[in-house]
Amino acid sequence: MGRMMERIRIFTYLLLTVGWCTACMDYGPLDEETIDFPPGSPRVYVVNEGSFMYGTASLSCYLPQEGRMENEVFARINGIPLGDVAQSAVVRGNSLWVVVNNSGVVFALDRETCRLRGAIRGLTSPRYMHFVNDEKAYVTDLYARAVTVVNPRTYEITGRIPVSSGEPDSRRHPTEQMAAYGKYLFVGCWSYDSKLLVLDTERDALVDSVEVGKQPNSLGIDRYGKVWTITDGGYRNETAGTETPALWRIDAATRRVEKTFPFRLGEHPSELCLNASGDTLCFINGGIWKMGVKDEALPEQPLIPDRGTIFYGLGVCPRTSEIYVADAVDYVQRGVLYRFSAGGEPLDTVRTGVIPGAFCFD
Amino acid sequence: MKKLFAIFVLLCGAWPGRGQQAAYTLEIDSLTVTAQRRLADVGLTKTDLDSVLLRESVVNSLGDLLSRNTSVFIKSYGRGTLATASFRGTAPSHTQVLWNGLKLNSPMLGMTDFSLIPAYFTDEVSLLHGAGSVRMTGGGLGGAVVLGTRTERLTGWETQFIQGVSSFGTYDEFFRLGYGKGGFRSSTRVSYVTSDNDFEYVNYNKKNFDKDRWVYPTERNKNGSYRDLHLLQELAYEGRGGDRFSLSAWLTDSRRGIPMLNVNYREEDDSRNRQDETTLRVAGGWSRYGDRLKLDAKAGYSYSDMLYTYAGETGTGSLTEMIRSASRVHTGTLRFAADWFPSDKWMVRASLTSEWHKVSSRERYEKTGYEKNRAEASAFVSVRWRPFSRLGIAADLREDFYGSRFAPPVPAAFLDYVLWKKAGLVLKASATRNYRYPTLNDLYFLPGGNPDLKGEQGRTYDGGVEFDLKGKRISFGGEVSAYDSRIDDWIVWLPTFKGFWEPNNVKQVHAYGVELRGTLTARLGKWELYLNANWSRTRSVNHGDPVNWADESIGKQLVYIPEYASGVTGKISWRGFAFTYNYNYYSERFTTSSNEKDTKVGRLSAYYMNDVSLEKSFPARLWNLSLKFSVYNLFDEEYVSVLSRPMPGRNYGIFIGIRPRWK
Repeated sequence: MGRMMERIRIFTYLLLTVGWCTACMDYGPLDEETIDFPPGSPRVYVVNEGSFMYGTASLSCYLPQEGRMENEVFARINGIPLGDVAQSAVVRGNSLWVVVNNSGVVFALDRETCRLRGAIRGLTSPRYMHFVNDEKAYVTDLYARAVTVVNPRTYEITGRIPVSSGEPDSRRHPTEQMAAYGKYLFVGCWSYDSKLLVLDTERDALVDSVEVGKQPNSLGIDRYGKVWTITDGGYRNETAGTETPALWRIDAATRRVEKTFPFRLGEHPSELCLNASGDTLCFINGGIWKMGVKDEALPEQPLIPDRGTIFYGLGVCPRTSEIYVADAVDYVQRGVLYRFSAGGEPLDTVRTGVIPGAFCFD
Repeated sequence: MKKLFAIFVLLCGAWPGRGQQAAYTLEIDSLTVTAQRRLADVGLTKTDLDSVLLRESVVNSLGDLLSRNTSVFIKSYGRGTLATASFRGTAPSHTQVLWNGLKLNSPMLGMTDFSLIPAYFTDEVSLLHGAGSVRMTGGGLGGAVVLGTRTERLTGWETQFIQGVSSFGTYDEFFRLGYGKGGFRSSTRVSYVTSDNDFEYVNYNKKNFDKDRWVYPTERNKNGSYRDLHLLQELAYEGRGGDRFSLSAWLTDSRRGIPMLNVNYREEDDSRNRQDETTLRVAGGWSRYGDRLKLDAKAGYSYSDMLYTYAGETGTGSLTEMIRSASRVHTGTLRFAADWFPSDKWMVRASLTSEWHKVSSRERYEKTGYEKNRAEASAFVSVRWRPFSRLGIAADLREDFYGSRFAPPVPAAFLDYVLWKKAGLVLKASATRNYRYPTLNDLYFLPGGNPDLKGEQGRTYDGGVEFDLKGKRISFGGEVSAYDSRIDDWIVWLPTFKGFWEPNNVKQVHAYGVELRGTLTARLGKWELYLNANWSRTRSVNHGDPVNWADESIGKQLVYIPEYASGVTGKISWRGFAFTYNYNYYSERFTTSSNEKDTKVGRLSAYYMNDVSLEKSFPARLWNLSLKFSVYNLFDEEYVSVLSRPMPGRNYGIFIGIRPRWK
């Protein structure tokens, strides 16, 4: 019996030794911190998608006057990650709103401190947010076949604007970027679609649509009331076939296509933006291209050549017309933000989070 | 790391050390070398999982079994969800998996989901590391996992029933009925597992506003329920002339929810994400064993029906389906192999395998997909020679054909040399240049499939030493091996600026490392001790061309490949009681190609897991009854092993096993 007890004692000793050595994984709440943002200083938020299904979306804040970049501001300040695939952000009133697509949520942050104030939940696959007024905003959605109407004051969903095409076995229309013209709102439908929808923001209703080319991926409206969109032509080897990508100009008042500017087949233009005065377009097509809204042909030379890198995101400052370009590098590491003057001179280069996809200027 | 190494040394070294004392005298002189190296295994770095490990994991999936007991890293997304293997720092598609000679790797994805293979359906599990995989199939740039069932040992009626009840509404049922008489054998196995899988956890990735402050909510694992049914019927007949005929059919019917990420703010009622799969594999075989010649022929057919659906609430009060992606795969297989032994010193093996795949993949709402047929063939010849008892030499050559292309020839060379017979000390070395051609999804998936992809080419060099000592009361075996692999044109799927993912040949990877494993069994009076331990260091480094100046991934470890891993299974038995302890460790895994450490949202710290179980068998005249109580995650760790995938804390299972005695 004594020998058996001895063996049990040895075994227990071994087990406890192993247990002591191997317990405690380093996992738990993130530390919270306060970031010292200079009061009144302009900010450029970079919305980093993060890797899909990793939950590594993040928010970066670039301070152009100081040339300073603060990464992962949401997680550092609030002690939780931003979520999975952050899509876009918009500033309104005292809040910064961040749309996190695959988390199905829109976060409201304090505009000064970036502290979490609230969240709009119950969304299907949110993409972009547009404010109609302080108590009404629209959230577009990839899968919902509806534009969601929310009350930003209460963080509640107040309604939905159905945008289903009515076709059987169809997700159309998936809604994306928005551009306002008076009480009307143009909504681009990118994924396997070819429409710009027109919503009446007073009636919260779909009132019209404009047929454009395959997959309008970005949208803007110029100072003359012309809606611009870029269609990427669909996917290579798509069963329904691909078409030539193009830049489209639509008169917002008559909702008629006025002109198309075709690119070459195989090119993949995207990220259409307008400058501060609304008279110049900017877009990615390999490099960064700039074009006056009155021009009658696509430019022949890019403003910023691609230099062997593939640009992923583009933003133009609504105050200075400075150009911000995001480079996702290999999509699995921190990206890069390039800041250029309106004329294309390089001003700064800083690191962002993983897959920087969108900008928000404050 | 020192800590882990110390544990390994402690566990591997402690018991023989205790043998110096009178009570445990091991009589080293009486240890004998019993392992006779088979000509078929010349130079192989091979891990055979023994019957103790298989029995211990009988209620688990193969993923759990490999994760706990081998150097293969299993990336598990949680209970009842996808589990993929990384063998020696390579990708899941670089591990080839064979079951009774049939390839289980999906022709669409290239990989195998180890969570869908019940350990109960295997009687033999072997890992062929590196070059050794060439003997079974092409494309195993990391290695091959070879699974088999055995019916030869059946005599009379044999029945086994295991029922388990575990935490989170988990119920396991396993049943086996075997019969053998004369040359006829029949084996029927059933595995049925259901689970609510709704464990509770504190979600540190969310905050809720409660009264006057933000708090981390306690949530349940959402949408994680699953139900897996497996049926396996095997028939075999062995004639007097040495002919053996076999027929087997394996049906898998799996209905699984895909658990929500812990950064998903949707409610469970607002979203449903499911992956369902029905697969039938049928194989018929003939083999003949002669004195000098062994012939083997096999014909197989498999059909897989996979359906991924996603539905969400869109304000209508009910769920609306948004994604419905269905894939159907028909595969026909023919295989012929011959082993010829001209003398005791020579062995020649030749085989020819052909497969034909018919694949249909379709997404209902995007109206995308593809339909493709592809023929594949693989010819193999091997010559093995043992000129004298200490030395073995082998040369293999494999030639693969896919679609309308021939892959580059795959040669492999092996050598082993017995350094010290008394200790069973054998030096082994091997080298190969392997090749893996792109999968059907790599080439044709819409959107993103890239028909211009090149195949992956790997060069692997192995070297190692193994020993095997067997005595009356103690057996001790082990192996140390080192390897060096370079894989060119590594295929990786990445997002693009076009809005979809696309595969490209973007990486050159240098994978190298060291593997240690050891097994100790000891019988000390009424006590029996079993110890199995493994430890590995795996460097899997990107040596491709940088994307641009900002690319910091060059020279860095690939994502989700741990540099260090180890596992220990210890079992101590006494008078029908058996206590089993299992420990598993992975070092930090990076989630960025630049191995970013200065991040709050992408860290996966080291993983330590401890499980224990206590079993008691009650032999009786009419049956053998056993009861087992298991505690998983013994120290109640809060953790994730894949980012944003919550894992359960301490949980329990109780199992009852009944084996009637028919005689």
